[in-house]
Amino acid sequence: MKKLAFHTMIIAFCCGIAATAFAQDAEKKEEVCFESRKGASEITKREIKPGWPNVKCSPKTGAALWYGDPYEGTVPMGKMPMLDKIPEGHALVKPRSEKLSILPMCGTACHNGVGPKFSPPTLPKDKKPTPIPTMESLLPDVKDLQHGRGRIWCLDCHHTTKRNMLVDNFGDPVSFDQPQLLCGKCHGDKLRDWRDGIHGKRIGEFASTGKKRWFVCTECHNPHNVQDGARNRGFVQLQPESPPQLPKGMKDANYEKVHPIAH
Amino acid sequence: MTPKETPPAGTAMEQSPGCPVPPASADPAKAVLKTSRRGFLKSSGLLSLSSLMGTAALMTQSDEAKAAVEWAEHFQKNYRLMTPEEKAEARARLERRYSAEYGKAVTVDTTDAQPGVLMGYALNIRKCIGCRRCVKACVAENNQTRGERPGERIEWIQVLRMERGEFSKDKMDHGYPEGLGIQVGGNAYTPAGQVLEGQYHYEPEAVPEKDATYMPIACMQCEKPPCVKVCPVRTTYREPDGPVVIDYNWCIGCRMCMGACPYWARRINVANPVLPKEDMNPVTHYLGNRPRMRGVVEKCHWCLQRSRHGRYPACVEVCPVGARKFGNLLDPESEVSLILARKNVFRLKAELNTFPKFFYFYD
Repeated sequence: MKKLAFHTMIIAFCCGIAATAFAQDAEKKEEVCFESRKGASEITKREIKPGWPNVKCSPKTGAALWYGDPYEGTVPMGKMPMLDKIPEGHALVKPRSEKLSILPMCGTACHNGVGPKFSPPTLPKDKKPTPIPTMESLLPDVKDLQHGRGRIWCLDCHHTTKRNMLVDNFGDPVSFDQPQLLCGKCHGDKLRDWRDGIHGKRIGEFASTGKKRWFVCTECHNPHNVQDGARNRGFVQLQPESPPQLPKGMKDANYEKVHPIAH
Repeated sequence: MTPKETPPAGTAMEQSPGCPVPPASADPAKAVLKTSRRGFLKSSGLLSLSSLMGTAALMTQSDEAKAAVEWAEHFQKNYRLMTPEEKAEARARLERRYSAEYGKAVTVDTTDAQPGVLMGYALNIRKCIGCRRCVKACVAENNQTRGERPGERIEWIQVLRMERGEFSKDKMDHGYPEGLGIQVGGNAYTPAGQVLEGQYHYEPEAVPEKDATYMPIACMQCEKPPCVKVCPVRTTYREPDGPVVIDYNWCIGCRMCMGACPYWARRINVANPVLPKEDMNPVTHYLGNRPRMRGVVEKCHWCLQRSRHGRYPACVEVCPVGARKFGNLLDPESEVSLILARKNVFRLKAELNTFPKFFYFYD
């Protein structure tokens, strides 16, 4: 009898532990919020020190609302012309290549330029894009390219033989982490404003030589869909955060239109 | 003076020249107890003594940090008149109290303005999409009250939705917009140029909407701030590095500044602030985001707790389109200086000569 009671106790104890463990798992569900535009870059919420999270996310839209550590997951930007005044290590970016899921395949699987079938590598004969079903299923955006209004095609931006790289005006490869070197080919005025901090976004220290994280072009703009169809705006639409409290006595936002104010 | 003109009260005085007794009144509010000066002083002395003893008894009974701190706070000077020792004392007192109240190590910074810094702000009015992320970031950073009941939710930034102007032939016969009276700007067919309270409360599925532009408004940190001029207790003032700040302890909640501000930037805590422990930002500044009490006015201070240490304000860091820019106006290489030099800039209500350090610009 005593033995039975002992076993029951052990089982009950184990159940208790398991239940609390499950409960903790449910609580510890990762909170991931997006930064500028949805799908471009995300941060996972965690505690840097007690009561101090790395990021606060919006419960309504899932957007990042507050940075506890603005430099998380960043690497030095690399060489940029005309940015020599900024001390070493003070210009940081979040590497884009880690976010692009098919990038590791790009240079090796299909577009390596030296595959067994293509020796010497067969390069496109003209600048008319041929629809490739595999490519379109991997990246649906390319089916309807919304950039350049039909005046540019894939290899104006992507390197011909090194497909995991972009290309500059001289045909030299440019890293996906430095898209500004590519975009500045056409959008020179925007590049100049971005370099001076007028266009785009930077977080960290506000002094002109301070340590900052720079948001690169593709963190805010989707290069394959910059026009966004009929909207023709560079930034996609977002869900807004909740509106403020209505003033006391006001039933709804249209109140003043229904009850006119005297002049 | 002729005897004809002598008032009746004067005659009463003449009747009893030695002991002036006021005439009896039927109004009970004006009833006067007949007490001697000696008796009055005696009773009032006893009363004040007993109230002091009562307070002391209360203080010794509740050994909470809060009661002792509140006692000391009542006797502290205006922040600008405090000596460095008094500032340190006030800081330690507040840190102790907030840490006990919110269950975490709260710091209250008292860093002064840094030399060579004059803060300035610029906002690209063409880029703003009206997503209100700045509004919520400000709340997350600055410990505003966030309850549900009326008056318990304070947001410092307001985003105004404005309809785009248009000229369409089918509306030509409509005349002035119904119900809104005289046209005060914009064009003749849409109620532009007039701010309705409802314009802050837009809630579409997605922003930016097709026919709207958005205009965020917060404290402009004027160089000649009307709110500072009217403050009867001089608790709000302009700091040497730019921002207009408030010593919350000296605010009497008279709301003169709210009436004087032409930018609708100031808010009052009409209810007891609701600030959950887990959401409280423990890094605070004395003149900035430390938790406020009921009955005091608060407003944007460009995140003093951050900007005094070189960091961007919270709203600048979350703007998804990078419309918000912040920098040192004395540094010709800073973002704001370059915008002033290069872009089309305007200040809101510039005709009022408040000289805001908040600039709107467009490409």
